[in-house]
Amino acid sequence: MFSIVKSGIIHSVFYHVLQVVKDCESRILHWKKVSGDYEALTERLQTLPDQLSYDIMVPFGPLAFMPGKLVHTNEVTALLGDNWFAKCSTKQAQKIVDHRMKYVKSEISDLSKTMKNFEARVGLVRDLESISSSKGDYVDIREDTENTGDIAVTKGKQRIAHKPNSKPKLDAVLDLKEEDEEKEGSRKCTTTEEELWARLDELEKQEELQDDHDRLSYNANMNGEDTSSLSSEEEKEGDAAPAVNGLAHSEAPPSSGRKADEEAAAAEEDDDEEEEGSCLPTIFFSHTIEPKKVRINTGKNTMLKFSERKEQKEHSKRKNKNGHSNGHSHHELHKITTPVDIYRLFVDVKNGEPVPRKSILKSRSRENSVCSDTSESSAADFEEGRRAVGRSFSHDETTQSDTSDGVTEEESPTAVPLHRASRFEAFSGTVVEKEPMPSAVPYLTISPPALPTILERKQEEVAPDVAPPQQAPKRLSKFKAARLQQN
Amino acid sequence: MAEALQKKLKAEVDKFTLMQKDVSKSMSARQKLETQLAENNIVKEELDLLDTTNTVYKLIGPVLVKQDLEEAKATVTKRLEYINGEIQRYESLLKDLEKKSDQHRELLSSLQQEYQKAQGLAVGKV
Repeated sequence: MFSIVKSGIIHSVFYHVLQVVKDCESRILHWKKVSGDYEALTERLQTLPDQLSYDIMVPFGPLAFMPGKLVHTNEVTALLGDNWFAKCSTKQAQKIVDHRMKYVKSEISDLSKTMKNFEARVGLVRDLESISSSKGDYVDIREDTENTGDIAVTKGKQRIAHKPNSKPKLDAVLDLKEEDEEKEGSRKCTTTEEELWARLDELEKQEELQDDHDRLSYNANMNGEDTSSLSSEEEKEGDAAPAVNGLAHSEAPPSSGRKADEEAAAAEEDDDEEEEGSCLPTIFFSHTIEPKKVRINTGKNTMLKFSERKEQKEHSKRKNKNGHSNGHSHHELHKITTPVDIYRLFVDVKNGEPVPRKSILKSRSRENSVCSDTSESSAADFEEGRRAVGRSFSHDETTQSDTSDGVTEEESPTAVPLHRASRFEAFSGTVVEKEPMPSAVPYLTISPPALPTILERKQEEVAPDVAPPQQAPKRLSKFKAARLQQN
Repeated sequence: MAEALQKKLKAEVDKFTLMQKDVSKSMSARQKLETQLAENNIVKEELDLLDTTNTVYKLIGPVLVKQDLEEAKATVTKRLEYINGEIQRYESLLKDLEKKSDQHRELLSSLQQEYQKAQGLAVGKV
């Protein structure tokens, strides 16, 4: 459409220019004629005074001539313009003629110049016409800027929104690449994400194992050296026989007052840990100065960081047992720098396989704790809600003389257990105890060996199922129960 | 309504055409004056070139009347001045006429629009 309009305009311009050119041509012709006449005149003027008189045939009207003479050949009457005449000699006439000739010549030159200009315009218009109608050799140069434009636009935007898990890896990958590669990178992103999730599952399993092991070690610490050796034995046995139950049975006799299942769980965890090569996980929270570790009673009434002890133990055990494990991997595995590490380390153990824990808050550290036996009561509490937890806590305070410790112990894991309580159980936090509670031993008699560990196993899943039969012992403080159980 | 508008429109158009004619007339007169001006300038120059020995004639109808050189010069000069004056007058006249014609043109266009609207309404009604 634009071309059509353009062509119309061009045509009009073309015609106009042509007309101007024609006009100029006509004028030039006229002036050329005039100049020719004047040249003839000058010639005549030059020859006329040669003779005094000339015999000529004088025209009489349009059709007749008369013989006559031409006299006063030097006298010429010249028209000056506007009906004015002047009598002058031929020479003067010549001057006048020359004068006029000058004028005529200037006119001709001007006209010729304009004609040239218009002729150039005509040429230009013709070219425009050809361009507009897209014929001839003139072509509109057009460049497709779509692709280049996109690249130019997106060249700066190398990064795409990645999921937090995969971000650190992918940023390095994508920054240097271009659009196409970026797409590949996005695809890559998804695959790495999947890998990461798989890894997370693995790590959760590991974590479970670790927690079990920790619990085991914790119990060992509680009882002194024997337990450590026992745990080491357990670990050894765990290495040999991955079966959980078998371990439990084998380990049950040596431990005194300990849950076989706990040990089994711990051993299993240890097992898995050993197999997986993971060590005690240590979660470092930014808001807390010290790592979130369980304070344990080392038997000498000294407070130690649970994890430290465990780490030492783990390290020693590891050194003893596994030649392949080196300190580096040990530390690296322990080190938690990203959320991925958390999931890696905190793994549940189910049926002898590491299963990624659904919630790291629901850590097996609970199992490590003394009050792991109170899972039953906690399960019961779960039905009633959190206030049951509070009740149990208060109960604990009132009933026990060492509640000071219990209180302090409660406080630290309170935040965690409450969180977890919201999910499945009222309380499943880590338990901190400063010293053994022999006085508490006679208190608690209710701690069915079979149920708690099972509950622990099924903390995330089947807690409600186990709850009903445990309404009765609910009242008993969990800490107490745990302590009793442990002792 | 439409018919009245139409009549009005016609009258206005006629007026406009008259005005246009006046404009063209004045334009042509001015052009003539300009040529005469040029010619008289040439005559003046020629007369200046001449000396007293030459006689100057003026063509009045079929008769060549002898004129004095000085008189001729004076006459020509006067004519020139006259021509210039005429040209200026015509120029002013032309300007006025053009203004009037523009005003009239606008009026005509507005009337035309009204007429078209009326016609459109009439068509719609029909």
